[in-house]
Amino acid sequence: MPRRRPLPLTAALLGSVLVVSSCAGAPEPGAGGGAAPTAPDRPWDEVLAEADGQTVDLWMYGGDQQGNAYVDDVLAPAAAERGVTLRRVPVTDTADAVNRVLSELQAGTDDGSVDLVWVNGENFATGRQADAWLCDWTGQLPSMEFVDPEDPLLTSDFGTPVDGCEAPWHKAQFVLAYDSADVADPPTSIEGLLEWAEANPGRFTYPAPPDFTGSAFLRQVLYAVAGGPEEVPAEFDRAALDELGPRLFDRLAGLAPSLWRGGDTYPRDLAALEELYAGDQVDLTMTYGPATLAQQVASGALPASTRVLPLEEGTLGNASFLAVPVNAGDQPGALVVADLALSPEQQLAKADPATWGQYPVVDLDRVPEDVRAGFAALPASPVVPPFEELSGGADPELGAGWVTPLEDGWRSDVLGAG
Amino acid sequence: MTRAAPLRRRAGVAPRVALALVWLALPLVPLVLWAAADRWSFPALLPTAWGLTGWRQAADQGAAAALGRSVLLGLVVAALATPAGAMAGRALALHRVPARRLVEGLLLAPVAVPPFAVVMGLTTLTLRAGIPGTVALVCVLTVSALPYTVFVMRSAYTGYDVGVEEEARTLGAGPRAVLLRVHLPLAAPALATAAFLAFLVGWSDYVVTLVVGGGQLVTLPMLVGALSSATGNDAVVAAVSLTAVLPPLLLLVATALLARRGAR
Amino acid sequence: MPARSPSRRALLLLLPAAVPTVAVLGAALTVAVLQSTGLMPVVGEPDPTTAGYRALAGDRALLDGLRVSLGIAAASTLLALAVGLGTALLARTTRLGGRLLRAAAAATVPVPHLVGAAAIGLLLADSGLAARALAVEPGDFPPLVGGPWWVAVVAEYAWKESAFVALVVLAALAAGERELDEAAATLGAGPWQRLRRVALPLAAPSAVAAGGVTFAYVLGSYDVAWLLGRSYPEPLPVLAFRLWTDVDLARREQALAVAVVTTALALASLLATAALLARTARATGRTAT
Repeated sequence: MPRRRPLPLTAALLGSVLVVSSCAGAPEPGAGGGAAPTAPDRPWDEVLAEADGQTVDLWMYGGDQQGNAYVDDVLAPAAAERGVTLRRVPVTDTADAVNRVLSELQAGTDDGSVDLVWVNGENFATGRQADAWLCDWTGQLPSMEFVDPEDPLLTSDFGTPVDGCEAPWHKAQFVLAYDSADVADPPTSIEGLLEWAEANPGRFTYPAPPDFTGSAFLRQVLYAVAGGPEEVPAEFDRAALDELGPRLFDRLAGLAPSLWRGGDTYPRDLAALEELYAGDQVDLTMTYGPATLAQQVASGALPASTRVLPLEEGTLGNASFLAVPVNAGDQPGALVVADLALSPEQQLAKADPATWGQYPVVDLDRVPEDVRAGFAALPASPVVPPFEELSGGADPELGAGWVTPLEDGWRSDVLGAG
Repeated sequence: MTRAAPLRRRAGVAPRVALALVWLALPLVPLVLWAAADRWSFPALLPTAWGLTGWRQAADQGAAAALGRSVLLGLVVAALATPAGAMAGRALALHRVPARRLVEGLLLAPVAVPPFAVVMGLTTLTLRAGIPGTVALVCVLTVSALPYTVFVMRSAYTGYDVGVEEEARTLGAGPRAVLLRVHLPLAAPALATAAFLAFLVGWSDYVVTLVVGGGQLVTLPMLVGALSSATGNDAVVAAVSLTAVLPPLLLLVATALLARRGAR
Repeated sequence: MPARSPSRRALLLLLPAAVPTVAVLGAALTVAVLQSTGLMPVVGEPDPTTAGYRALAGDRALLDGLRVSLGIAAASTLLALAVGLGTALLARTTRLGGRLLRAAAAATVPVPHLVGAAAIGLLLADSGLAARALAVEPGDFPPLVGGPWWVAVVAEYAWKESAFVALVVLAALAAGERELDEAAATLGAGPWQRLRRVALPLAAPSAVAAGGVTFAYVLGSYDVAWLLGRSYPEPLPVLAFRLWTDVDLARREQALAVAVVTTALALASLLATAALLARTARATGRTAT
């Protein structure tokens, strides 16, 4: 997952660009990009020919060592075979890349330095507000034939319609994990988990929202207190927040005294929670990237008795994507790389936990026989069940508009109540 | 010796001096230790594996470029705020200034107005006018530095003998020669202090750069902020932090030595 | 050159400092006031309104932020004054120790506050150096960083600003203490009397001034509270920055309202300091005569 830092360093500029664009009479932010620029429709061979010799700058979150290694050692050589030089530009926060695009657009640069961005829902939505993404291009990619066009995770990204403005790359699943050496009888639902935490004071906590993982946990609990994902409108709705918010925050504020340190403080990010879990200060951890869990157990950073908590109601799932800025300097090259990244061979290579362990976005019923066999042959992890099992009852993500109000409410009504 | 205090009181002084020294130096101790640690697992009082991982990671994070930007920002602020401060300081010390208290209050005002408030207002304006953000950044920081340069130079000029300049003039020196040969050499130590303080304003700034640059302009404090707000970066935070402390510290020592030589 | 009157020349000399100060502060504060009152909206037509302020006044976030900001500033200032004044008075009693203390205090000046915050974090965090030195399990160590009492934040400000207070007071004492002190000693005043009658009155004005500057600085400072604090309640600068970067552009007006409130508080605290200084000056004037 491209991570979002607790306090985005760069949100400031983003706001400024919106100000300027609104001063200049551009469509009001939030209008939802009526006039998103689209890629010219042309035969794929033409794209390939234009791409030949181009250098594509892929801007991506640089804090994931395995991801960096996959791009440098697997994806880049494969791109070179197609005549495209792939250069990875690491950023500490995906919003940095989006801001770079927005400020270049503001300056009127046609030959932008960002060709491809690994985006998550929030940054995708921001870019769409400003019409910063090239649209209607994923249909041109030959590899799209391996993707299920009806897959809800791939048609809408945190509530924003994808509309061919970004190509799918991985799927992710939110999971909670427990130490089976300490928890004999693991809870099987979120409500059960909260009750377990109350029965075992001090042995559970979660990263403080607006940390990415903590924020996901908040949405997961929201589904639980609301009585299921179908009870929460996907698009942000003030009335729904006014009704559900207090239930969520009261539940979590009531839980706080039973948390690690009596809820006086929370781990500030996932790494801090993992440190507590590894040091046996708490018995559960959570992540939106289960593959890293298997990796950390294998490397000994987390106890070998770590297991994923099986939750009856399913957990949040989402997909992350590659987007092309409208002013990308090497657009054809960027399309070629996005197509390559989506190819069954690359999706398989990337799914290997030893390489990166990212869940594929291609539909296994549509890929060639040998690739399907390859997926079947991937080593099974004792820690994390296979993706089909994990994603069985996958809950849809809420619209990006929900994220901030929930985090604000948590801040004042859960942390502030303590 | 008139200041001879009773022996008992003397004996009590050393521990108190030591305590005050510990208070002043203690916060920097973990920085130094972490900067030399490859691994420092929890209960251990000293790093469990010594090494330079932090510095290597700092280099990977672009600490060298950030250092360059910080130096440049500090120098620009010092170059703008020092001469302006010196002129105003001279006026306040040596001339009859109308509405003196108002003028002094005005020149001190930047101390009272939080930089984040200034920059939020100014950025709105520069964005509308299409002025690059770095201009707003330099303007706000220079104005923040002015109170320091003005008042350092005012106290320096208060003890300054203008007669020397007049003497030089009667001996036939032109205005240029008076400035270069008499005025500047005499004011040099104070100018160095003022410039140093102004440099620090640009060098240390975090919030103004954050608001204006939105994370694009990565100075050393920006790097420290980004790294230390996430868990598990202790070694690299320490390395970048020391990079942000050592150069001005060396500059301070150098200024002090120069001032002492000048005083002799 | 008889043409220029002295005050005209003074004015010319003052311009390079005064013009940018007036321009930048004036423009910034005008925009802040205009924008926070709806007269200079991000989008749409100007429409004078106090909605930004009313929204904030009804919002617990601003009142709690105000409380925590004032609390942090007061605690940091008092600690910095106590430690700084103590250090300065200590430094003047011993030659070698004085030089060491002066050097140590001067050495903290070039440390950026954010770096100081990172350092204090490494010192006071659950698994920081302090917990290691005291051999306390991280779970049992009090939550100094990010905890409900803002201990690490206050500690950082107190640390840096105590050095500042010490340097300011030492500079003021250096000006005239020695002669007075020696005179008092010759007249048979004991050390305690000399401290009370000579050193403290001499140090008081500079200490008051340094305290006022510290209070205003801490009130308007963002980085330390952001790094070492918790996300609720938010000190005013942290609150303002979060509102300013919110995707909802209407919140920008609230951010500038917070900026205006913070500026007013900082200005008020410095005016109060000036008034206090005037009183101290009169009071010390009386003791001296």
